[in-house]
Amino acid sequence: MELSPLYLTIKVSITATFFTAAIGLVVALLMARKDFPGKTLLDIVIMQPLVIPPTVLGYYILTVFGKSGPLGRFIEDTLGLDIVFTWKGAVVAAFISSFPLFVKPARASIESVGKDLENAARLLGKTELEVLNTITLPLAWRGIAAGTVMAFARATGEFGATLMVAGNIPGLTQTLPIAIYDAVSAGDNHTANVLVAIITVFSLAVLLVAARFLKGKL
Amino acid sequence: MSLSFNLKKSFNGFTADASLSFADELFVLFGPSGAGKSLILKMISGLITPDEGTVSISGETVFDSRGRVNVPIRERRAGYLFQDYALFPHMTVAGNISYGMSHLERAEVGKRVKELLALMRLGGLEERYPHELSGGQRQRTALARTLAAGPRALLLDEPFSALDYQVREKLRADLCAIHRHYPITTVMVTHDLEEAFMLAERIGVINNGAIEQVGTREEVFYMPATRNVARFVGVKNIFDGVVTARSSQGITIHCPELGAIHAPMQPLQGARPKTQFDVGSDVTFCIRPEEVLIIRPDRPISGKAEENIIEAVITSAAARGATQTLFLDIGRGRASLKVELPNFVVRKLGLAAGRRIRVSLKKESLWVIPHPAPSTTFHY
Repeated sequence: MELSPLYLTIKVSITATFFTAAIGLVVALLMARKDFPGKTLLDIVIMQPLVIPPTVLGYYILTVFGKSGPLGRFIEDTLGLDIVFTWKGAVVAAFISSFPLFVKPARASIESVGKDLENAARLLGKTELEVLNTITLPLAWRGIAAGTVMAFARATGEFGATLMVAGNIPGLTQTLPIAIYDAVSAGDNHTANVLVAIITVFSLAVLLVAARFLKGKL
Repeated sequence: MSLSFNLKKSFNGFTADASLSFADELFVLFGPSGAGKSLILKMISGLITPDEGTVSISGETVFDSRGRVNVPIRERRAGYLFQDYALFPHMTVAGNISYGMSHLERAEVGKRVKELLALMRLGGLEERYPHELSGGQRQRTALARTLAAGPRALLLDEPFSALDYQVREKLRADLCAIHRHYPITTVMVTHDLEEAFMLAERIGVINNGAIEQVGTREEVFYMPATRNVARFVGVKNIFDGVVTARSSQGITIHCPELGAIHAPMQPLQGARPKTQFDVGSDVTFCIRPEEVLIIRPDRPISGKAEENIIEAVITSAAARGATQTLFLDIGRGRASLKVELPNFVVRKLGLAAGRRIRVSLKKESLWVIPHPAPSTTFHY
């Protein structure tokens, strides 16, 4: 059996999760601690991928990141990167759809760190970076870890937007969920069963780990 | 070292406008909840930015709205004790205490942590986490953490409010000892009268965002500058009247509820500026409930109690531990008077509800407040 969808999925998910956690942490900190104009709007935009159909999301990504899209042209000109119909397109799709799943718990856990604790650290002579490293992050790490795990899980399961943006090119952009769709369409039930089993077990394990992080039993 | 401020802040219809300066003393800012006490501490420390004014700590201007000075919190070195202590839950007692000393060398940190553990009676608890401590231990850890950072002033926001009575007593004594050990400017905020009097070298009474009086505890207790201060320090019997006569012996006040009342010009030797009570001017006068004299029918009235005698009926009594408060009715609902007496006196004289008695508002016990009260903002 062809295992390249599994490897590709892992590669795409890890890359997407890396960006989600790095950018998401900054966004979660801003949302939790700062008031700025347009905060509510930003919140709505970030949460959109949870509610709009993945195909619509994929269409947006195509429009923005495509060769004629504003961001797509910029990225191609400056970095020489092709997004659409490459594995990088799958990363973009996974990143955007998993982003809210990271930001939500991360922001909540940062908000739950009392402001007085951070102020106490400032009063004891600490800089903002020191406050972040010694107080906020150590106390919010469970929510951040749970968010990372959830985002990773969402990235591995991304289907609709990935199909729209990256396509279904075996060995190049065919991730696990798309391979399952392909196998079922072609009547290859054996392959479908194996891939479904892999994804099911993986998803259950991820949710278990995330729940443990949030409950504090790990 | 010293501390001074002159601050103004308005929000949601509330305005705080106060200025004070402190030497290396233990100063208590006393007032009811919502008076703006914590707000002032937060503005001194930089946690809240004032609308206008100045703050200076140890001679350094850390805030000046005109000069656009606003030193960040971390550089103000104002020790601040939060009401709920804000201990870092992921650090041990030792970790909390040493947190603000990271600029020092390791050996020095260890030495100072040891010193503070001993001073705060926290020996043996250094490896415990905050959730494993009692309320009093938490408070002492927080205080040790604040002192460890070498503050230039100490700001305490209701430091005893979360503790039960016995622990509170002990910790008040601790605080006095610590102030002797670290004689830096200490400003404590409380709404607890007893606490204010036990700890303060000087008291500032704040109401509705403004300082109404600053003085020694005796001054605030016996010579309240305003009607509000009188109320807050438990004077209880407060009346209004008009000055009808003035002589070298004192003044006569006509009070609609009590009739003619004789009061001294200056009842106590106070530092208060000499006040003139002109005939015809409105005044407020007051007497503490424990200063009201009960006249015993079986004994002749002694000289000093001869003036200001009032007929009253006891309406009820409320037990207050070792003493009782008697509620007196004067002239069938015209006025009421509260009298506080030791239990044995109440028993001995058979003072029960329904009894008709005579009381004396002894002249020397009366305190007269002119109208309008002197400027409500004090500038010391």
